[in-house]
Amino acid sequence: MAQQGNVGELLSMLDSPILGVLEDITAAFKDNLICDRGPMLVNNLVDYYLETNSQQALHILSTLQEPHDKHLLDKINDYMGKAATRLPTLSLLGHVIRRQPSWKHKLSQAPLLLSLLKCLKTDTDVVVLTTGVLVLITMLPMIPQSGKQYLHDFFGIFGRLSAWCLQNPGHVAEIYLVHLHASVYSLFHRLYGMYPCNFVSFLRSHYSMKENLETFEEVVKPMMEHVRIHPELVTGSKDHELDPRRWKRLETHDVVIECAKISLDPAEASYEDGYYSVSRKLCTSLKHHQTDPSASSYIGTQSSYGTSTPYSTPRLTLSQMPGQLPQILSPQSTRLSTEPQQVTIWSPSAVCGMTTPPTSPGVVPSESSQSASQPYSKAFGTSAGGKGTPLGTPATSPPPPCTSDDFVHVSLSSAAATPPKKEDKPDSGRPLLYRQQNVINSDKSLDIPSSKSSVTLSDLAEFLGGLSFEDSAEKDREEDAISKEISEITTDAEHMVPRGGFDSPFYRTNESLSGSQKKTHSAASSVQGHSQTSEPLTSLDKPGPEGARETPRQTFTPIDKPCGGPGESPAGNREGTSGEPSILTPSPCKVPAQRRVGFGSGQPPLYEHLFEVALPKTAYLFVGKKTEELLKKAKGTQDEDCMSSTSPVEVLDRLIQQGADAHTKELNKLSLPSKSADWTHFGGSPPSDEIHTLRNQLLLLHNQLLYERFKRQQHALRNRRLLRKVIKATALEEHNAAMKDQLKLQEKEIQALKLSLQKEQARYHQFQEEHDNIVAQLHSQIRQLQHDREEFYNQSQELQTKLEDCRNMIADLRLELKKANNKVCHTELLLSQVSQKLSNSESVQQQMEFLNRQLLVLGEVNELYLEQLQHKHTDTAKEVEMLHAAFRKELEKAKLCVQQQSQRLDASQKRIAELESQLSKKDHLFLEQKKYLEDVKIQARGQLQAVESRYRAQKRITQAFELEILDLFGRLEKSSLLKKLEDDKTEAAEAAEERLDCANEDTAGHSEETMGRNGETKPPSTRGSSSSKGGSSSELSTPEKPQNQRLSSRWETSVLLEPSTTVPLTVGSLPSSKSFLGMKARELFRNKSESQCDEEGLTINRLSDALKTEQCKDPSMESKAPPSPDNLSPKLQESSVGQLHIMDYNETHHDHS
Amino acid sequence: MADDSQRNFRSVYYEKVGFRGVEEKKSLEILLKDDRLDIEKLCTFSQRFPLPSMYRILVWKVLLGIIPPHHESHALVMKYRREQYWDVHHALRVIRFISDSTPQVDVFLRIHQLESGKLPRNVAFPLEPEDEVFLAIAKAMEEMVEDPIECYWLVSCFVNQLNSKHKDSLQQLPKILEQYLNIEDNRLLMHLKACAAMSKLPYDLWFKKCFAGCLPESSLQRVWDKVISGSCKILVFVAVEILLTFKMKIIALNSAEKITQFLENIPQDNTDAIVSKAVDLWRTHCGTPAHSV
Repeated sequence: MAQQGNVGELLSMLDSPILGVLEDITAAFKDNLICDRGPMLVNNLVDYYLETNSQQALHILSTLQEPHDKHLLDKINDYMGKAATRLPTLSLLGHVIRRQPSWKHKLSQAPLLLSLLKCLKTDTDVVVLTTGVLVLITMLPMIPQSGKQYLHDFFGIFGRLSAWCLQNPGHVAEIYLVHLHASVYSLFHRLYGMYPCNFVSFLRSHYSMKENLETFEEVVKPMMEHVRIHPELVTGSKDHELDPRRWKRLETHDVVIECAKISLDPAEASYEDGYYSVSRKLCTSLKHHQTDPSASSYIGTQSSYGTSTPYSTPRLTLSQMPGQLPQILSPQSTRLSTEPQQVTIWSPSAVCGMTTPPTSPGVVPSESSQSASQPYSKAFGTSAGGKGTPLGTPATSPPPPCTSDDFVHVSLSSAAATPPKKEDKPDSGRPLLYRQQNVINSDKSLDIPSSKSSVTLSDLAEFLGGLSFEDSAEKDREEDAISKEISEITTDAEHMVPRGGFDSPFYRTNESLSGSQKKTHSAASSVQGHSQTSEPLTSLDKPGPEGARETPRQTFTPIDKPCGGPGESPAGNREGTSGEPSILTPSPCKVPAQRRVGFGSGQPPLYEHLFEVALPKTAYLFVGKKTEELLKKAKGTQDEDCMSSTSPVEVLDRLIQQGADAHTKELNKLSLPSKSADWTHFGGSPPSDEIHTLRNQLLLLHNQLLYERFKRQQHALRNRRLLRKVIKATALEEHNAAMKDQLKLQEKEIQALKLSLQKEQARYHQFQEEHDNIVAQLHSQIRQLQHDREEFYNQSQELQTKLEDCRNMIADLRLELKKANNKVCHTELLLSQVSQKLSNSESVQQQMEFLNRQLLVLGEVNELYLEQLQHKHTDTAKEVEMLHAAFRKELEKAKLCVQQQSQRLDASQKRIAELESQLSKKDHLFLEQKKYLEDVKIQARGQLQAVESRYRAQKRITQAFELEILDLFGRLEKSSLLKKLEDDKTEAAEAAEERLDCANEDTAGHSEETMGRNGETKPPSTRGSSSSKGGSSSELSTPEKPQNQRLSSRWETSVLLEPSTTVPLTVGSLPSSKSFLGMKARELFRNKSESQCDEEGLTINRLSDALKTEQCKDPSMESKAPPSPDNLSPKLQESSVGQLHIMDYNETHHDHS
Repeated sequence: MADDSQRNFRSVYYEKVGFRGVEEKKSLEILLKDDRLDIEKLCTFSQRFPLPSMYRILVWKVLLGIIPPHHESHALVMKYRREQYWDVHHALRVIRFISDSTPQVDVFLRIHQLESGKLPRNVAFPLEPEDEVFLAIAKAMEEMVEDPIECYWLVSCFVNQLNSKHKDSLQQLPKILEQYLNIEDNRLLMHLKACAAMSKLPYDLWFKKCFAGCLPESSLQRVWDKVISGSCKILVFVAVEILLTFKMKIIALNSAEKITQFLENIPQDNTDAIVSKAVDLWRTHCGTPAHSV
């Protein structure tokens, strides 16, 4: 336990005032934590913290790393259970959670969450509840997904606490309730932002109950006035919003911003992309405006009360113009010199219409403040201006139009002053963007003094638009940064003033203002805020000594004005306070005032008359009415401090502000050393419970502050991300510009190239023309030459035709020549012929002459013969007649003969025909006969085939038989061999010799028989076929029978004797016979395989021979047989029966056939 | 001419209208009236038409040459045949190859063996594959023919015809089967080839035994009509038709052994249809035999 002691020591040293020791100790703790994984150290630390509230311990605890988280949570959970330690534990938890430890996701599983919820549900201590709710609200965005299982617990808590706010069951001080209300309000925002559907359905179900209706009316409904409709209500569903995918993309700060988006409350809201579609610029202007106050208020809360006031002073200007929303923009616009259109766009809002009352005749004190803004708005001259003018003109008596001018100037100068500041940031942010820098530098160096704000602004707008116009959030961010800077400057200014002289800036400005307002305007933009704030201050200060006290209170009011409703009411309230001092005490402005009254100070009414002067009458009336109502309520229910339209946050702010004011004032006034003294001063002894209350209040405020800080951190995170986007965008812009330059260069190059191209083209055209000319010339030459050539060609053709003609002529002439020659030849021939004829004719003439002479001679002879003939004519007639008759008879005879001949011919011809017909008949007959013969042949062949097949079958049968027989023989021999082997050999040999001698006689006789039988034994083998042929075999069969019988008997005997005979055979002639038998068998097999029918007979003969020889031997052996006939009998008889049977079959078969 | 005039004049139209075989019996009777039967014409008739069962045995006997074409010699030749049968029968009894209790089919086998000279030395000798074929055919024939002698002769001559006349063509049949199966159903052939079942189909049963034992006798007769009349290609078509008919089942089977087993034991219910389709298929592929009736 040395270690424990060690730890105790360390713990005691933890809060050592020496810085070095502190660091050492812290380092030692961290080392320990790294080394040690046990819960002990953590537990000790928690204990220590709870005991001493040590900041160091808190620091260590809130930076705990992973393995210790469980111990820490367990420990916290332990302490959470105890009522006494609950509050510090909760604040510790809050500290730890706000650090956003890496193990924050484990929170949802930790039992701590359950006990926290339980505590929130059951606890009755407001402080604990408020702290717990804030812790819960902080925790919710860290566990959006896993927290959904406790959704109804959250809702239940909300329901309980909202009811609490109204009913106050614990009857605690209202101050607490304000805190509680504020935290419930935050819870409402968180829940509505994160789970709208579920939450709305919860609200619906929870507040539909009658007992809850009042709570709804009083507490929840006003809250709902500060939120817009969540888009998820339209697009999402209960399940969808619990979908893990929805939350996966969102980091904690995203969730926070999401929730802020749907808020209409300026203290809560954050306007980012998508929510404002009207005009971006408007948005931005508005945002400056809204973020500015929030930022400043933030800072304000962060720093002491005293410091907070100056920051919020800018807002004062806005508050100074209640109901004139367009003018709300003026400080912003002066600073940023936004376009007038924005204002015009903004002005028509219904809220403005409602809130802007008609002119108030006498608004003297506020004149100064309005003079700053009203002319401005008037200068823009729109509906806003229209509204503004009635107010402004009477108010701004000293600088009617010129003020506006001045104001513009001021804005310009201020703008001139601001840009450098704005751009300082970008400078540092983007050192790479030299172009931008150049612009900025030039702006800085040249334009700052001379250039108009519009220029710089437009530059800025361009710059901003170019960089991040698409994302108004970025712009917003920038503006944010600017505003922060401004505020920083103001704080600096503030800080320069000693803390004691808290009011001094105002006074100072007041003084300067009283000198000349314009001068204040011409001050730097940051200062302008001061100047503007100071204006009202001066006005306020003048009326009463309480002015200083009054101003601070007003400083926080600006929070209201961004949103119309709240913006109006505080003004009204203020007016109410001013207008009706009597009623004022419970005044809407409310709790603070009331409280202060409650605290025992009766000062409030002091400043109220100021409002009377400062506010228009109608507004005053309106507010008065309101306050009356509120008063009633306040009277009715103690806690009716919340206006239906004021957000609880405002109320809280106001409360703080008032508290701060009171504090500072008292401090200033009384310069009392202690608060207790302060309290005593207020009247009555300081009750201990009040101190307690104040402490608690302080604690609550601290919690609230921490919560707000947490929110700021989230915003900062987001801002960083957006800045990165801006940087990227500008880089791209640069890149684009560079590309454009390159493009230009290239375009130039292209132009140069085009020029040269044109030149080249011109040259080319020239060449082309020259070339064309030459070509044309050449063409004409060619044409001429061609023409010439054609002429020549024609000439030559003409000549050729002539030549042709000549040739033709020559040919013709030749032909003619030939013809002539022919003619000549012909004529020569003719000539020769003629000459021949001539000679012939000459000879013919000579012959003619000779013949003529002969003719003459013959004529004379003829004459002579004629004379002779005439003498002999009479004798010849008779002779001729006789001849005639003879001839006639001969003719008749011949005719008869012819007749006979023809008759004979006819007869013979008939005969021939007859014979021929007979012949054909015969032929036909022959054919038929042939056919028939063929038919018969076929028939016979068919039959023959059948017979043949039968014959073949028979052959097969015999073969089979033979095979069988041989088989049997073989078997017989084998068996006999085996049996007779042991018989006497010599005896057998002698007996064989004797028997051979005496058997010779027998054999002679036998041989004859056997011969005869052989002749017949052949037929039986073929009998199968022969017997079928006809009955002829019957003749054969008769002699066969005795033979068969004989044969069979002999068979029998031989078979019977064989066993005995085999012995001598084996001795004497067995080898030969055996070999012979084997040969036979072989032959048979061969025959069978070859189916040679011819050899069949031979083999059978041989077989029979063989049998015969055996039979020859048999008788000789017969005598010897007796010794052993008995033992053979059964087998042999059987076989013999078979044999006999075969023989019988032959007969039977015979009969069959 | 006289025959023609006697025939129904409508006979020409029957075939056109689709009635086949109305006049077949009559024309067969006319054919059978001729003395000296024209074997060619009988062959053509048998190939063209299914034989009427009352004339089937007669026609088969004539076609197988058991009885000659002349009517006169029928009785005589049959007598010879009978005698031959009994001779052989007796011989076999003598050498105790058969006895009274021997089944008829075995008797036929022994007789056939004896006649062809292939009788084994002993009864106990194992059967040759060709003997198995003979037995199968004889069994089928026994169902169709009553008279044992006629039956024996038909079987014997049928087997002889197969062994002599169709021996060469029978060996070609598996190839032809593949060819026609390719034409008819390529997919089935592919499947069979894929299973390697093509070589393992029951060719012995189909082509050597001519479906004896595979088809019931009523269907078998019609196939054998064609085979006896000289066309053994019909066997291929019957096989093709069997494959086509049982295509789905065959495709469902994957192994060659299963297919073979299935084909060896095909269901016997619609074999008539198979044979009819096979005959049609055979007609379409091989053409109608010349109408010479």
